Amino acid sequence: MASDGGSSSLQLPCVFSPKSRQYLAVCAQDGRLRIWNTDSKTINQEYVPSAHLSATCTCIAWGPCRTVKEGPQRKKRKSEAVQVEEKADLLAMGTAAGSVLLYSTAKGTLHCSLDEAHSAGVNCVHWHPEDSVLYSGSDDTNIVEWDLQSGKMRSKWKADRAAVTSLCVSPDGKLLLSAGHVIKMWDLDTKELYRKFTGHSTAVTTLRFATTRPPDSNGLYFVSGAAHDRLISVWQVREDGKDKNSVVSFTLTDEPRHVDLVPSNSKEEAVRLAVVCQDGQLHLFEHFLNGPCKKPFSPSCSVQMADTRESPMPIPMLAAVLGRDSRSVLLAYGNHLQPVIEQVEVNTTERHVCLSRDVKTSLSLTMESTVSKVKTPVVNTKSKVLVPGLPGHQAPLKGSHLEKASEKRKKDTKEMSIAEQLGEIDLSATSSEKVKASLQTDNYAVLLVQGLESNDADILNKVLQTRKEMVIKKTVARLPLSAVLPLVKELTNRLQGHPFAGILMVRWLKAVLMHHTSYLASLPDLVTELGVLYHMIESRVKMFHKLTKLHGKLYLLMTHVATSDSSNMVSEVDHTAKLVYEDESSDENEASGDEVLPEEDSDHWEEEEGMEEDKQSSEEEDEGNRTEPKANGEEDMEHENESEEE
Amino acid sequence: MASYKPTNIPVYPKLGEKVTEETLYWKNYKTPIQIKEFGAVSNIHFSPVTPYNFAVTAFTRIHLYGLLSQEPVKTFTRFKDTAYCGRFRSDGQLLVAGCEDSVVRLFDVSGKVALRMFKGHTKAVHVTDFTSDRYQILTGSDDYTCCLWDIPNSAQLNTYQEHTDYIRCGVTSQLNRDLFVTGSYDHSLKVFDARVDKSVMTINHGHPVESLLLYPSEGLLVSAGGRYVRVWDLLKGGQPLVSLKNHHKTVTCLALSSNGQRLLSGSLDRHVKVYNTTSYKVVHNFDYPAAILSLALAPEDESIVVGMTNSILSIKHRKPSEEAKETAGHQRRRPSYRVYAHRKSYVPKQDDYLVSKPVRQHLAKYDKQLKKFNVSKALDTALETWIRGRKPEITVAVIRELDRRGTLKNALAGRDEQELSRLLSFLIANLVDARFAPVLITAAEMILDIYQSIIGQSPVVDKQLLHLQSLLERELDYQKDLLEVLGMLDTMFASSLPKIELPCSGISTSNGLPQGQSTASRPQILAA
Repeated sequence: MASDGGSSSLQLPCVFSPKSRQYLAVCAQDGRLRIWNTDSKTINQEYVPSAHLSATCTCIAWGPCRTVKEGPQRKKRKSEAVQVEEKADLLAMGTAAGSVLLYSTAKGTLHCSLDEAHSAGVNCVHWHPEDSVLYSGSDDTNIVEWDLQSGKMRSKWKADRAAVTSLCVSPDGKLLLSAGHVIKMWDLDTKELYRKFTGHSTAVTTLRFATTRPPDSNGLYFVSGAAHDRLISVWQVREDGKDKNSVVSFTLTDEPRHVDLVPSNSKEEAVRLAVVCQDGQLHLFEHFLNGPCKKPFSPSCSVQMADTRESPMPIPMLAAVLGRDSRSVLLAYGNHLQPVIEQVEVNTTERHVCLSRDVKTSLSLTMESTVSKVKTPVVNTKSKVLVPGLPGHQAPLKGSHLEKASEKRKKDTKEMSIAEQLGEIDLSATSSEKVKASLQTDNYAVLLVQGLESNDADILNKVLQTRKEMVIKKTVARLPLSAVLPLVKELTNRLQGHPFAGILMVRWLKAVLMHHTSYLASLPDLVTELGVLYHMIESRVKMFHKLTKLHGKLYLLMTHVATSDSSNMVSEVDHTAKLVYEDESSDENEASGDEVLPEEDSDHWEEEEGMEEDKQSSEEEDEGNRTEPKANGEEDMEHENESEEE
Repeated sequence: MASYKPTNIPVYPKLGEKVTEETLYWKNYKTPIQIKEFGAVSNIHFSPVTPYNFAVTAFTRIHLYGLLSQEPVKTFTRFKDTAYCGRFRSDGQLLVAGCEDSVVRLFDVSGKVALRMFKGHTKAVHVTDFTSDRYQILTGSDDYTCCLWDIPNSAQLNTYQEHTDYIRCGVTSQLNRDLFVTGSYDHSLKVFDARVDKSVMTINHGHPVESLLLYPSEGLLVSAGGRYVRVWDLLKGGQPLVSLKNHHKTVTCLALSSNGQRLLSGSLDRHVKVYNTTSYKVVHNFDYPAAILSLALAPEDESIVVGMTNSILSIKHRKPSEEAKETAGHQRRRPSYRVYAHRKSYVPKQDDYLVSKPVRQHLAKYDKQLKKFNVSKALDTALETWIRGRKPEITVAVIRELDRRGTLKNALAGRDEQELSRLLSFLIANLVDARFAPVLITAAEMILDIYQSIIGQSPVVDKQLLHLQSLLERELDYQKDLLEVLGMLDTMFASSLPKIELPCSGISTSNGLPQGQSTASRPQILAA
């Protein structure tokens, strides 16, 4: 149930205005209603409902266009024409608190608010095509009919045992479809149940009439889509009432989110359907509705959108409406906060179309240009934009960071683990100061302890592969004592293997030994605890001597190659002659190189012969030096030395 | 006649990871089969009778899967809302399940419609179970009550309202029909006796209890809640026995292996841990891709079924055991077995003189070449991609053998660019391995000696040599660091040892100790 609620709350309403498609109404995560102009691609209006955080907008429906001269009315909104024609384009919004708000785009303000009819959140609102009547369905299982002239409830009836999740009025205005899990058809005159259609196992989210023919002609069809269902079902309202099952179904890639449909008026006309799915893809269907068909139809064309980066990421589509001809589609895609609106000609002869768009730049551009231009009749400057789903401690970050984070979340809705969140903080706070660093190490210490407790490889990799010396030190310093020995054991396992990985582990080991010296030394069974580690290191460094020699040899040879390479322009004879000279020079080179390497060698020789003399530049005290020879496994010598010493 | 002695391939132990019987046992599962369910998989229960179907409760459905089927053999969908805790009766005939809409439904495994509906709870029912006499049902609900119901007339027998929070887990005793235990989010476990109308024992777990398990002997009770798994001794009045903290998120489910020797716990941190029930140490660990909600083991541990929050059901089947494989092999070779059966089955009598037939020696490819003294070819076969990648110890053993014979130089010499680069890539991959380093360093030196004249002629070889050089550089840096650590450790040992004053047998062989004892006086002097 929880997952169900989660997904439905993610579905933010996004609707194009009818007929001319001039506006796109979007209710974003911040609870604000924004109306975008699809021609100029800019924000036209922004409205902040007074309870936009507590009672978020769950559904939007545009009222029918009733003005004759639509064009001039919108262009000159403040002209007389508007004042004379009061029939402005209304927008109905259902909220999670159970009220329905009517917003007037012409006035740019709230027209009226319809309350006190629903006891739970409104799931759907639908306008009657002719009369000024609005229907709303709610979680409290009721359908309410509103009279918009008076702004009062006209009637209310219980529609289902479960919540009413979707509504639709037939084109002739006589029938109403409502749906919870079961789709019911009501006669609007008598408010009596006319038909019942069963088949969906989850809540129906979409209902649309597909034809405009009367119900008693066997030609009335409607479509439905449900949550968690990758199908759009088509139902036929038959004269004989034998309409138990859906007649046709269309397959989708994910649950439908936004459906647009061009109804057919006659049998010869195909129904065109555009469905935007949860996964951000758009599917176009075209079908002649004439009776049942067993096989589900796959889309005639699927449209995806990707950005233009090196590794393209899909851009989710939000809504789509079909144009007059079969190829043009008006798309809204990207982010709910800043959708991009575009008229696209889709090549429907191909089954899969992928459009690539550079959303980043267009996003920032529209934001820059529009924000200043926004005409917001009601702007509450004190209200803060809260993007849900972000951890609270990120709030003090800069606005740009927030933006980025929200975008990122949009792109992969996958749940972030602690490790990933930490990584994110890490990225965004690269230029931060010490305060942040300390916070980070604190978390790393917690993470490390968790990883050690459950032996989780992911977490341990994440923590132990840190390269920053500071982070390592602080993490180790904050480590509780109980975690020290497990950490040492884990490090022992990781020390063997490739030196590239090993070097990082040594840093950790050193840090542990430095910070917890006294604790480790006080352990009664220290030798047994660290014995494995000791053995492992010892066996590894046994070959130090030989490896160094081999390295020297290789170094010498490779410098020769390098020098000969640099002088390979010269002819053969000259080359040999020059080599004689270069031998000296390269001897110097080699000597300079050897200064580093044989130094180590000689160190060891000295250690083996007379160890008191050797003064290696280690920060350790006498003991440190004294223990050095053990690495070479010269125990006999040592004994002699020690006996001398004593 | 002295036969050829094959190359000895030493077995190198790997430090750290101990391969025990346990790991072998628990690793012996196939790659999991993953099945997508409709929602988070909240419960899995195996039928106690053959064919050991299991019921998977996910979202509004209960699917019955066969032990080896990947499709549900049966589905119960008659739930109005999310179903919980689908459990079989001990005869495998009936299935009970709770639901978010507070109605408990009883199904016949072969039927579809609920046989009985138990209505009486006011909130979601998360716990259902049959009592051991098969005629009663235990339920626990979010309305803080647990009830006993009679199956025949679906009457409510008894209600216990003692918990002060949601009841989310419960088990019935399999030995006594009147006993059952419930665990609740109020941190407590309560043992109830149906003959008395209140709880007979209360145990405080300290965290909201997510799962309960009774040992087959029913002397011990295991509870999971928070990050802890706790074991309680019921016979001693609920005395805490063990507290295990091996997860870093809430433990959600418990299971017991079929012989009762191993305890499994699954958690939201995506791990399943296997504990030994005598020592209560973690003996194995499984990783899963998402937070785990439910876990069940098939009889004889034939498969491990895990349900996760991302609505995926993962089923791991045990690989067929070695004996099964062997018998299969015998069957294939049956004709020859029949022909020679009398010979093999013949048991020598006391006076018989046994002439053992020389066993024909099977030699590996490289050994064949070595036997023929084709040293280069032997090295070639040992450098074949498969051996080189999977079993470098074979290659190293061959190189060592060649070195022992003094023919390594011959084997390495006279190679073209491709072969040389193959050799070098093997060196790059294995030179820093402490187990192989002694042998490979000699080989590397020889290669440098032999081919130093041609260095600079082939870009491929040059590149690899440079790579080798940088690798050595890193390794030397690393070893220098390690030497420093060794120094630190010595210091530490030295300062800690005087307190013990007796040599530890563990590592007296090579390190620390002799010096430690001899230097024992030193730190004290320093301190003074």
